[in-house]
Amino acid sequence: MQIDLLYKPSHTLARAVLQPGEGVRAESGAMVGMSPSLALSTDGPMAGGGFFKKLKRAVLSGETFFTNTFTATRAPGEVLLAPPLCGDMCVHDVRPGERLVIQGSNYVASPDTIDVDTQFQGFRRFFSGQSLFFLTAAGRGQVLLNGFGAIEALDLGEPYPDGRGRLLDTDELVLDTGHLVALTEGLDYEVTTVKAGLIASYFSGEGFVLRVRGRGRVYVQTRNREAFGRDVGSALPAKQQ
Amino acid sequence: MKFEILDAPDFGCLRVRFDGAGEQLVAEAGAMVSMSSGLKLETKARGGLLAAAKRSVLGGESFFQNSYTSTGAGQEIILASGMEGDLREHALDVGQTLFLTGGNYLAHVGERFTVDTQFGGVKGLFSGTGLFLLRLSGPGTVFFNAYGALHEVDVGPEGYVVDTDHIVGFSDSLRYELRRFNGTKGLFASGEGFVCHFSGPGKLWLQTRSPRSLARFLDPFRPVEQSSSGGS
Amino acid sequence: MNVEIEYGPAQSWMRVGLKPGDAIQAEAGAMVRHSPGVEIDTRLNSGRRAGLFRKVLVFFTALLRKFFGGETMFINEFTAPSGGEVVLAPVMSGTIQQRTLREGERLFVQTGSYLASTGDIDTQLRWGGLRALFGGEGLILLECAGNGELFINSYGGITAVDVEGSYIVDTGHIVAFDGALDFKVRAIGGIKATLFSGEGLVCEFNGRGKVYVQSRNFKALVGWVSRYLW
Repeated sequence: MQIDLLYKPSHTLARAVLQPGEGVRAESGAMVGMSPSLALSTDGPMAGGGFFKKLKRAVLSGETFFTNTFTATRAPGEVLLAPPLCGDMCVHDVRPGERLVIQGSNYVASPDTIDVDTQFQGFRRFFSGQSLFFLTAAGRGQVLLNGFGAIEALDLGEPYPDGRGRLLDTDELVLDTGHLVALTEGLDYEVTTVKAGLIASYFSGEGFVLRVRGRGRVYVQTRNREAFGRDVGSALPAKQQ
Repeated sequence: MKFEILDAPDFGCLRVRFDGAGEQLVAEAGAMVSMSSGLKLETKARGGLLAAAKRSVLGGESFFQNSYTSTGAGQEIILASGMEGDLREHALDVGQTLFLTGGNYLAHVGERFTVDTQFGGVKGLFSGTGLFLLRLSGPGTVFFNAYGALHEVDVGPEGYVVDTDHIVGFSDSLRYELRRFNGTKGLFASGEGFVCHFSGPGKLWLQTRSPRSLARFLDPFRPVEQSSSGGS
Repeated sequence: MNVEIEYGPAQSWMRVGLKPGDAIQAEAGAMVRHSPGVEIDTRLNSGRRAGLFRKVLVFFTALLRKFFGGETMFINEFTAPSGGEVVLAPVMSGTIQQRTLREGERLFVQTGSYLASTGDIDTQLRWGGLRALFGGEGLILLECAGNGELFINSYGGITAVDVEGSYIVDTGHIVAFDGALDFKVRAIGGIKATLFSGEGLVCEFNGRGKVYVQSRNFKALVGWVSRYLW
C-alpha cells in the first residue's frame, strides 16, 4: 500500500493506492473519495481479531469506534482519507514487538497486518466530563495518524530508528494532554495537573498534563483539541437535552 | 478592478482594488474583513428581504448578498469566509455553467452573471442530503472557498465516488447518482453519510475537510439547554 | 532567551529556550509542553503598575468572563532556574508575530491576539462598556507599552494595512493597531444594513498608522459551523 500525503500541513489529504488484494481499514467518516472498483465492508467496534468486550464498550460510554475497510479486488484503486479537524497527518511504521499508543481521535487508518485494540484510561475531566480514550496498534505495517495543527515527532532518550524525530536533550517531558497524538509503548507516563491543587490549575488555564519519561517517540500536535472544542463549542447555539 | 488572493491556500481571502467610481462586486453577507470608508454597501436578497429572512431561518441557506459599489479611485475591500481553507477564482464564458455548493460561494463580478438557487434536476437530486447547490452561469467570474484544501479530480468514464460533504463543485458535463454509503447498511453502521457516484468526462472539485465532521466534533462541547418540564 | 517560531504560517507555535534568570509570560492555557526544569507561576494580568483597586476590578472581571466564556485574564510566567524549554501555542490556527516594543511606543492588541511577552511590557485592559465585555461583538483591547518583546497571534494570516485617512475593519478581524490611530466602534450602516448585511460591529480608523488585520474571524467560524448543527 502506497500512502501519499497531499496539501500538508494544514489540510492534509491522504491518498492510499491499493494493489489488487490490498486493503486498508479507516476510521468511519474518513473517506473523502474513492475508485468505484474498491470493495468495502463496515466493521463493527473492534479489538484485535474483531471481538469487542462488552465491558470495554460500557466503560467507553458512548465513545464508538467504527471502521470501514476498503479493498482492491481485480484492479488497483485509490481511496482518499481525511480526519475531522484541520491539520496534518503522518505515517508511523510499526514493527513486530512494538506497540503504538494512540489518542483515540488521532487514528486514521492502517492495513489489516496491524491489530488495533481499544484501551480506556479513566481520567475524568474536572469540568467537561470528557475522557481520554486510547487505542493501541501492534503488528507490522503503517499506521496513519492525524494531528490537530502540525505534528512534531519528539524522541526521548535516544533517536528513534526512523530518523525522522527531533531529539530532546532530556528524557523527561511534560505535555498538555490536549496536544498528545500518540506515543510508543515503553515510555512511562502519568496524567496529573500542571499545578498542585485544582484551583490553581483552573486559573492557570492549563488542564491535565502527561508526564512522560524514558526512551521512545512522542507525537505532539501544535493545536489543543480540548481548548478549541471548549472555546468554539461554548459559543455555539445550545442543544436540547 | 484588480483581484488578489491573499493567505492561500490555508486562509484564502480576496482583496479587491477598485480603479474608478461605479464598479461593483457582489459578495455573500457577512464576508467583509475591511474596506475603504467610501465604498457603498447595499444588501440584496431574492424575493425581497422579508421572504429571504424567512427562508434563511427555516432553510439555513444564506440568501443575502451584499453589493459593494465604488465611489472613487483607489478604494479597496477585503473579503473572507467563515471557514478556513483555499479560495479560488473561476471565470465562466457566456453559456458556461458550473455547479457550486452554496456554502462555498464567496463573491462574483459580472452584471450578466447568474447565481441560480431555483432549479430542478441536480438540486432536486441532492436535496435529501442537505447539500445546497447553486447553478452559476457566465459571463463573469466567481470566487469560491474550499473547507480545507481544494482537490481536483478529472473524472473519466470509469467514474469516481465521493462523500457528499466534501463536494465543492463540478462541471455540468458530469453524470451523478446519489447512494447511501455501502448500500443498505445505512448511515449509522458506517459513519459515512451519502456518497455520490460521478461519471465523466468532467471536472470535480473536492474539499479536504467536512463541515459536518467539525460540527460532530464540537457537538459535545455545546451548552445544554435546560428544558423545564413543569411539575413533578 | 531564544525564541523560534515554528510550523508557520498556518500552524505556528513558539519554542522558547530559557536560561537561568529568563522569564516569559503567556496567556493562560498557552503551554504545549515544557522540560522538567521549568517553573510556572500563575498571576492576574492586571498590568505591572496596577494599584489595589485596579487589581480587584480586574480580578472580578476575570472571574465573570471565565464563567460566562471568554479569555481568562490570568497569565502564567515561566522561568527555569537551571535552564529549560517551554513551547507555547494559541488556540486557533494561524501566525505568530514577534514585535519589539520600546519606551514611548504604544500598540493596541485585541485580547485574543495576545500570546506572550517578555521584559517590561505593561498591558492595560480597555473596553467599550459592559456590553462590549459580554456581548462578544465589541472591541476588548490590551494597551501594550514599555520595553520588551511582544508575541501576537492571528487567526489566519496577518495583513498590515497603512491607514491614511479613513478605513473600516470588522472588529473580529482586528489583531492590533498603532496607538496613534483614532478609532471608533460602530454599526456598519443604518438599521437595514445592520440587520441584513450580516456585518456586525466595525471599527472605523482615522489618521495615520498601521492596522494589522487577520484573515479569519472567530465569530464568523461559529456562524458558519452553526448551520451544520442539529
